[in-house]
Amino acid sequence: MADPTKTAPRFVTTTVEVEGRTEERVVEVPAFPVEPWGPDAQLTHVGARARRADGLLKTMGRAPYVTDVRRPNQAYAAIVRSDVARGRVLSIDTAAARVLPGVLDIITHADVPARTRLFLPEITYLGQPLAAVCATTSAIAEAAAALIRIETERFPHIVTVEGAETSTTLARPGLSHNLMGGGPKVVERGDVTAALAAAEVVITREVRTPCALHSALEPHAAVAEWEGDRVTVWESTQGIFRVRDNVAKAFGLSLAQVRVICEAMGGGFGAKNNAGAHTFIAVAFAKRLGHAVACLVDRPGEQIDTGNRPSTWQRVTMAATRDGQLTAIDLEATVPLGISGWEESPGDIYHELYACPNVRTSVRIAYVNTGTMAAFRAPGHAEGSVGLEMGMNALAQALEMDPLALRERNIATHDQRRGRPYTGNRLAECYAEGARRIGWVSRATRAPSAPHRRRGFGVASQVWSTGGGPPAYATVRLNPDGTAEVLAGSQDLGTGTRTILAQVAAEALGHRLDAVRAVIGDTATGPYNGNSWGSMTVASLTPAVRMAAEDARRALLDAAAGILNVAVDRLATHEGRVTVRDDERSLAFGEVTAKLGNVMIQGHGSRGPNPDAVGIVTTGAQFAEVEVDTETGVVRVLRIVAVHDAGRIVNPTLAESQLEGGIIQGLGYACFEERPLDERLGRPLALGLHDYKTPTHADIPLIDGHFLEGADPQANTVGARGIAEPAIIPTAPAIAGAVADALGVEVPDLPLTPWRVLAALHHAPQHRSP
Amino acid sequence: MHLTLNGRPVDADPPGETTLLDFLRDHRGLTGTKRGCDRAECGTCTVLLDGEPVYSCRTLVHRCDGRAVETIEGLGTVDAPHLLQEAFVAEDATQCGFCTPGQIMAAVAVLAREADPTDEQIIAGLSGNLCRCGTHPKIVRAVRRAAAAMRTASHG
Repeated sequence: MADPTKTAPRFVTTTVEVEGRTEERVVEVPAFPVEPWGPDAQLTHVGARARRADGLLKTMGRAPYVTDVRRPNQAYAAIVRSDVARGRVLSIDTAAARVLPGVLDIITHADVPARTRLFLPEITYLGQPLAAVCATTSAIAEAAAALIRIETERFPHIVTVEGAETSTTLARPGLSHNLMGGGPKVVERGDVTAALAAAEVVITREVRTPCALHSALEPHAAVAEWEGDRVTVWESTQGIFRVRDNVAKAFGLSLAQVRVICEAMGGGFGAKNNAGAHTFIAVAFAKRLGHAVACLVDRPGEQIDTGNRPSTWQRVTMAATRDGQLTAIDLEATVPLGISGWEESPGDIYHELYACPNVRTSVRIAYVNTGTMAAFRAPGHAEGSVGLEMGMNALAQALEMDPLALRERNIATHDQRRGRPYTGNRLAECYAEGARRIGWVSRATRAPSAPHRRRGFGVASQVWSTGGGPPAYATVRLNPDGTAEVLAGSQDLGTGTRTILAQVAAEALGHRLDAVRAVIGDTATGPYNGNSWGSMTVASLTPAVRMAAEDARRALLDAAAGILNVAVDRLATHEGRVTVRDDERSLAFGEVTAKLGNVMIQGHGSRGPNPDAVGIVTTGAQFAEVEVDTETGVVRVLRIVAVHDAGRIVNPTLAESQLEGGIIQGLGYACFEERPLDERLGRPLALGLHDYKTPTHADIPLIDGHFLEGADPQANTVGARGIAEPAIIPTAPAIAGAVADALGVEVPDLPLTPWRVLAALHHAPQHRSP
Repeated sequence: MHLTLNGRPVDADPPGETTLLDFLRDHRGLTGTKRGCDRAECGTCTVLLDGEPVYSCRTLVHRCDGRAVETIEGLGTVDAPHLLQEAFVAEDATQCGFCTPGQIMAAVAVLAREADPTDEQIIAGLSGNLCRCGTHPKIVRAVRRAAAAMRTASHG
């Protein structure tokens, strides 16, 4: 209970980092202090390998994905897309589609609220929605969509940064310049020019990273249904409240008129952070027709028009003293962003990962006529680390130094970007443990499996802000039978949110885990939580859940004290029972709540502010062992060792699943994945999952993932940080480094497809130096 | 047409162009079989046709006339899960879970052919089933675990 005489403000401002961006946020100060769980806290459920709460439903095919929602009279929408990259709609002929039996409605630009920005007649990328059809079945809707004739006038398009800089036209109306910010974004610390001039050893390398597609197996999907002036939207999303806000704004509704539900979703990886065209199409049709409408994006639409990780070109120059201390890092980079998106700079990690007094990054980000960029697991860092780590390897070679030793020599002891300490950086331990696990010192003795194959090893590191932050809220309530529910307006992307919230609540309540259930994924039932992005959910939400549970536990103990006629401070809770110190009596939670009838015990929890002037990061190192076939150019990744420090691990099994997932996506980024583009037509050439090749079962190496034990009580009251994005950052550069080690020659461009490997070998000296 | 669906006879008269996937999901309400691509690339729609795994999105339902189709709904129940389903839970072989039913149906076919499969046989049998969350290592472990449990069960 808040002290009414207390004068401390209830709302204060704190800083929160989301995907590398720092935001100021108002935060509600928790009503009572909660002592953080330190590294030595004795915990039962937190840290346990609890089974995934919805695992069994998923294996039954009964987890309710949005694509499985079936509402009364539900109809289906299909999207008609532009097949030119830049131009203007002259006319749309819907006559043939309209008469197809089963077609219910067709909408174009004139039929939707302007704020949806749907079906804009000015075409700015290939795949832009221009119209939509609604029909009784998906098949009819798709057939009708193919009958809609759209006449367009073509304009010249832009797909490269160079094109964007030299073009006399703009990639889209409303821009003042095709480059974000009108020119390169230059960030400099120290004096790079002077440091390079005075350098003892300097290297320069150029790398290219591919445009990567999220390719979640469940495409974007929404089902909308109106009831009077209120709409319910089932959306496959990483942020139910953000979708609520998007829909309300687009359709001029109050927030109370929009309810968003996401009980299960089939993967997001950053692409499902907002409502999309499909959402607004479903909402618009549902309003016009008076019944539910589903808009399920098809696979080509998913690959073209739901976001991507843009390609990059990076030229890195690095300097060091002869004994391996970094003295300068200079990056020039370009990013063809797509038609929209935010500044996800490959430059940021150059300022952060390794200790260096003089760092300059100059990055040109261009708006071009391809589909929009969307955050993709560690946006910016995953790209930047490829160039930075290749530079480190080149520098190690020039210094005749072990690449691991060079990294160990240059660990960043504090947050150099913002000039503040970290709550902790145990990268040195990650290197040591990883090196031990991969057998780094004896790696030269590992023989390849055939004479034409070569074995190689690589190492790379990672830093990523994972402190999370407010606002995040939870309610914990006890039912009359003593079971508990956690209510939170969050969502489970497959990360295990549902499971860990129950673990934290059970721990703080002193309850049995099987008596606690998390109810999430519905804006109508759970209090506000932000998107599941930026590796933030655990560090943001679990402290709120812990506080709500502590609040509920206080009320429970007050009630039990009355029943048992003892002082509250003699009571404790353990595995669903209230116990009395120095007394054999105890009561099951259900016995206490039963005495209360339907009086509810409810705890309120809010996430408090982040600590001031300190950086909260997850760090880690990954090691790769590869074998490269010099005849075919095929790269086989044999082993990845990953060691990360993510603070307290709430559930090691789920954390390992996420770590393996990040590594496997990183392997795809390194070895297979790229969206090729026909630059002449502005046409993406990967429309499916065969031409955009993600890792299959046959591509998976042995993965040895490990988390350092510990907790970060300075970060938040649970002591946990995030792991989702840290997992992917070092994988591709570790693999690229291992391939270079195997071949004795660098392959400068990702992905490391056979022809790139063979081309690099072709230009290399005939035999590698010993 | 007639087919056996999860052990039960079904009479149906779907339009000729209906895929098995649409028949299952839209005509029969069996939404456990997923539509990840609808172009025979991802494997989320995998079901068994006379015991063999097929992509139901590229199988016309009329090809199933007189044949037996098994879907994830026919495998086990929450109260009595199939050993593969139990093993997937025990190994945490699901993340988002969207590929899971297809992976499990492909695994049923692997274990029907080979009671004690090698990892290579499991990988070959599941290589038509994509997983974007990167759950592959745990999926293979789960199939291995289920195989052992099934051998134990059959040897009593």
